[in-house]
Amino acid sequence: MLLAARFARRVLFSAGPLMLCAGLATAAAAPAPSLQISFDGHQFTPRTLAVPAHRPLVIKVINASGETIEFESFKLNREVALTPGEAVEVRLPALRPGRYDFYDDFHDSVPTGYLLAK
Amino acid sequence: MHLRLDQLRRFAWALSLALTLTFAVRARAQVNPWEFEVYSYATEGRGTLELETDNAVVAKGHRLAGEGTTAGVFPSQGMWFNQYEADYGLTDRIEAAAYLMMAAPRDHNYQYAGSALRLRGRLLDPGVLPVDLGWYTEIEFHKSPQFDDARAELELRPIIEKDLGSFSFVADPIFEKVLQGEGRQAGFEFGYAAGAYYRGTRRLSPGVEFYGGAGLIDSPDPIREQQHYIFPVIWGQLPFGIEYSIGAGFGLTHGSDPVVIKLNFAFEHFVGALFGPTGPSKRFF
Repeated sequence: MLLAARFARRVLFSAGPLMLCAGLATAAAAPAPSLQISFDGHQFTPRTLAVPAHRPLVIKVINASGETIEFESFKLNREVALTPGEAVEVRLPALRPGRYDFYDDFHDSVPTGYLLAK
Repeated sequence: MHLRLDQLRRFAWALSLALTLTFAVRARAQVNPWEFEVYSYATEGRGTLELETDNAVVAKGHRLAGEGTTAGVFPSQGMWFNQYEADYGLTDRIEAAAYLMMAAPRDHNYQYAGSALRLRGRLLDPGVLPVDLGWYTEIEFHKSPQFDDARAELELRPIIEKDLGSFSFVADPIFEKVLQGEGRQAGFEFGYAAGAYYRGTRRLSPGVEFYGGAGLIDSPDPIREQQHYIFPVIWGQLPFGIEYSIGAGFGLTHGSDPVVIKLNFAFEHFVGALFGPTGPSKRFF
């Protein structure tokens, strides 16, 4: 058990910086198509956004309304709060073809939107 | 001379027994029965307040004090653990929380058991690194000796998360150090909380969680005395911003309680941000 603890510590200390470097390099080398969703009038526009499958994405989410929202996707494991007028970029991994939900977690009455990866 | 040697042997035996018992009791502290929760990389949204209640009951436990999930003077059998947590998103990457811990030992009143303060954060935006990384630091105060030998403890966790398709994998290695009370001279203890979750539907999804404690890093307990649990869980989001996680935990070693039930509920609501948005170039704040 002691050996295992020592081994785990060595792995953490040695692998951590390598993973960080690899991650930063990956981030710098992978340009992603830019897509946009805006929120206004108590709904997301567009309600269904077609996106390319099998490649990383960056989606710009704009809160053009006068209320604070939480842009969230259960399927994609993303959530971010946006105050009125705020815009954020949501980074997504390469998606398999399919439909992925997104919604405003602060307001149940806002219709659910979907990313359609194909 | 023969008598002195015999006395010395008895003293050494008593000392080793006392040390064994001391460290065995300390080792049980790394599984926190007030919080059967795996912390993921995502932090609370900026300006969002989350109120959470974490509950656990030992359906089948130990009948001797200080065994299983309890580290104080009460037996674990039939014990209710109840925690209230207020969690606030300070920035897009850092949240602060305060905890109140209550307990109802079998045949005893519902009572105060401790409190805690916590800061938790995440590095960069999700998906930037091959695995998403976060950090967690907490100071716990226990009602001692009723619920723990230690009066104050420091808890540190790195948080590691990876999403693969519809699955999320989260690991929280736990490092604990006694600041006040019994065990203050000892080093860090090691425990863990980890989970694998399938993102099926928003309302109801399955998962499996793991919790455990191995004792002091430099002097782990024998496997039989350690605690290790596996919790099949269901979890999801309900209307009106309510989230839940419910499961039954099964102890895998003699030192664990055989069956523990957990019921966690949380409600979040935007209350107003203290700080402005975090730019994508910011790594920590």
